[in-house]
Amino acid sequence: MLRVWLILLALAGLASAQVQVRISGWGGTDIAIVNGLLKEVVQPKLDRKGIRVVYQPIEGDYTQWLFNALSAGTAPDLFYVDIFWSESLFASGRVEPLDGYFSKQELAEFLPNLIQAFTYKGKVYGIPKDFNTLALQFNKDLFDEAGVRYPNQQDTWETFEAKLQQVQSKLKDVAGLCVVADFARFGAFAFATGWKPFDAKGHTVLDENFRRAFEWYTGLPRRGAARFAQDLGEGWTGGCFGGEKAATAIEGAWIAGFLRDKAPNMRYSTTFLPLDPVTKRRGNFIYTVSWSMNAASRNKPAAAKVLKALTSPEAQQWVLERGLAIPSRRALANNPYFQRPGKEPELNRVVFQGSGPQGGNVYPFKFLAYGGDWMRPINDALLAVMTGQKGVDQALRDAQAALDRLTGRR
Amino acid sequence: MRIKARTLEALYALLLLLPFLFSLGVFFLYAFLRAVYFSFTDYNLFSPPRWVGLANYWALFQEPSFLLALKHTLLYSLVVTSLQTFFALILAIALNRPLRGITFFRTVYYLPSVISTAAASLLLLWLFQRTGLVNQALSLLFSHLPHLAGFALLFLGLQGALVLWERRRGRRTPFLDPGLAAVSLLGAFLGTSAFQAWGLLQAREVRVDIPWLPTRASFLGLPYPLWAIVLMNTYTTIPTFMVLFLAGLKGIPRTLYEAAALDGATPWIMFSRITVPLLRPVLFLVITLGLIGTLQLFDQVLFVGGSGGAPLESTITLAYYVYGNVFPSGATPRVGLASAAALVLAGLTLVIVLLQRRFGVGERGWS
Repeated sequence: MLRVWLILLALAGLASAQVQVRISGWGGTDIAIVNGLLKEVVQPKLDRKGIRVVYQPIEGDYTQWLFNALSAGTAPDLFYVDIFWSESLFASGRVEPLDGYFSKQELAEFLPNLIQAFTYKGKVYGIPKDFNTLALQFNKDLFDEAGVRYPNQQDTWETFEAKLQQVQSKLKDVAGLCVVADFARFGAFAFATGWKPFDAKGHTVLDENFRRAFEWYTGLPRRGAARFAQDLGEGWTGGCFGGEKAATAIEGAWIAGFLRDKAPNMRYSTTFLPLDPVTKRRGNFIYTVSWSMNAASRNKPAAAKVLKALTSPEAQQWVLERGLAIPSRRALANNPYFQRPGKEPELNRVVFQGSGPQGGNVYPFKFLAYGGDWMRPINDALLAVMTGQKGVDQALRDAQAALDRLTGRR
Repeated sequence: MRIKARTLEALYALLLLLPFLFSLGVFFLYAFLRAVYFSFTDYNLFSPPRWVGLANYWALFQEPSFLLALKHTLLYSLVVTSLQTFFALILAIALNRPLRGITFFRTVYYLPSVISTAAASLLLLWLFQRTGLVNQALSLLFSHLPHLAGFALLFLGLQGALVLWERRRGRRTPFLDPGLAAVSLLGAFLGTSAFQAWGLLQAREVRVDIPWLPTRASFLGLPYPLWAIVLMNTYTTIPTFMVLFLAGLKGIPRTLYEAAALDGATPWIMFSRITVPLLRPVLFLVITLGLIGTLQLFDQVLFVGGSGGAPLESTITLAYYVYGNVFPSGATPRVGLASAAALVLAGLTLVIVLLQRRFGVGERGWS
């Protein structure tokens, strides 16, 4: 009997020597990826340090859950932070600045754009785990059938539109592109003109450059180069593309998984977004997610070790080689994976390079701490013009007025 | 010590009620009191609540989107409650007839309320798409207007001729005599088909593509997307209220109708003097439940606004305003403002129900 107790005691001692670090992210396809990563790369490394990672994925609305958990003090040690709502969270003071745990050199190993995106008031609050940008996907079979040259990276808005028009007029029931009334897509074209979402005072001004992009984008359906996605019964450009209702799409690497299920045999290829004919530049968004640390965590040193293991070169290599996400480390730019033949490595390569010099004017997908409230006036303007309910002048005036109310201009 | 039987009984009652009282206390009373407290503070879930007095309420009534939500909610509630009560009553009376196979019809008419709101919302999205069934049906209708007009003219002409002929022969025939109408309808149909075949009538090229959901256009003060929700909600809630009315109708003694019939009362008199007054308790229940349910409209708004692409301005309701402020996309929660809005909604519901009870249909039946 005594022996049993001794063994139990010894086991309890071992267990207490092990530090538990709780991590959380959203569910869906991420669960299999993180579990694989933990099992094959992260946990073996941490076993030696006596750290046990407990992974609790969250199904349902992750943002609501995280805000509630942080407010109630039940949040895990490490969690995902999406760039879109990052500033409102960092401003709350519930997220630990990471400058004390990562040296300058360590931070410099990540893409500078991404580190900048998670920097708030001079401090780094998150280590990017992966990212995405927009790229242009086109269906080679549809272009061949129409006898039109493929889009390429020298295309400007004008030459690209001409190709779309040809496709749409030759293949009656296929749209060149299906456009959405969403700043998350249109914004890339507005950035190409040199327009900035906020001026130095934090105000938004819809200037002549913005207007030029707006007129081009909203006029695509009228000029026979595109159709409005909702009219085709779709909510995103990838949906039209996957259903062969449109010959091109403007999406990030996330479209790969969708196409694998929806149209596994589609011959598609990827290139950069077209250039603004005036500035000869393109624009792009960075959509990224970080691992961030709970400021109220009780074992921060251990949590920092887990954070490093989750974003280590080995971990990112593991994820990249399976084509699951695009790595945030600079060193992986020359990874042989990107040079592999095939549509998916090509897609991932273009998306990876979209964050750098080839991406042109690149901004993270965040709008100070305004979030969706900032995008809504612009989205409403896009919708009103594309469905013919307002003229460009009226729509932009209304959007400017709503943005002025929001940002306190005037 | 001996406990009195009555006290013991009360204690047992309390014991059995305890689980319910507990959940009521935690999830209703406590949450309600917290919301009342938060409504007087500036609170974002993170920094400690700061007392601001009535500032939130003041801010609410200056915010355009709140006022819009208030207007939408009130109008929507009025329209849907009237429509669903009226049609549920009509349907219940129709299904209360002792007809053969009436149970089958009762089942069929009850089916819509079995559909979940999510599924119904999805159906709604498809119906009202720009290339959806509604626009296609309208296109078909408008492009065949010449046929319809021709059909109507032929019918009227034939019917008029037939009726005149009958009257000439000394028979008193009403204009819409069913037998003659059947003959005229057939004639008009054949005539229209013949005109179509000879090319005298041609379908016009009409394509209706009204964007029903992604729009800001409105009709009688309510935006199109909300009208779409009105249609769907009326359709799915009528059956439930119809069942309540059916139960109420069964409780009205037949002898009253028989006595009225002996006195020579018309069906309309029987309906307005016997059925409606005796149904008053049920009517009160239906109207009250309808008002409370419609004032809290939320999930359909989420669907039509999300996947339907309807702009927020065209669909926002009070309940959605509350949700949108507790969890604004990408921004800091505005819990104080949302709590104030939630309390305004609660107060509004209470006031409307009381007003309805005082000035509308009361719960008292026959007095």
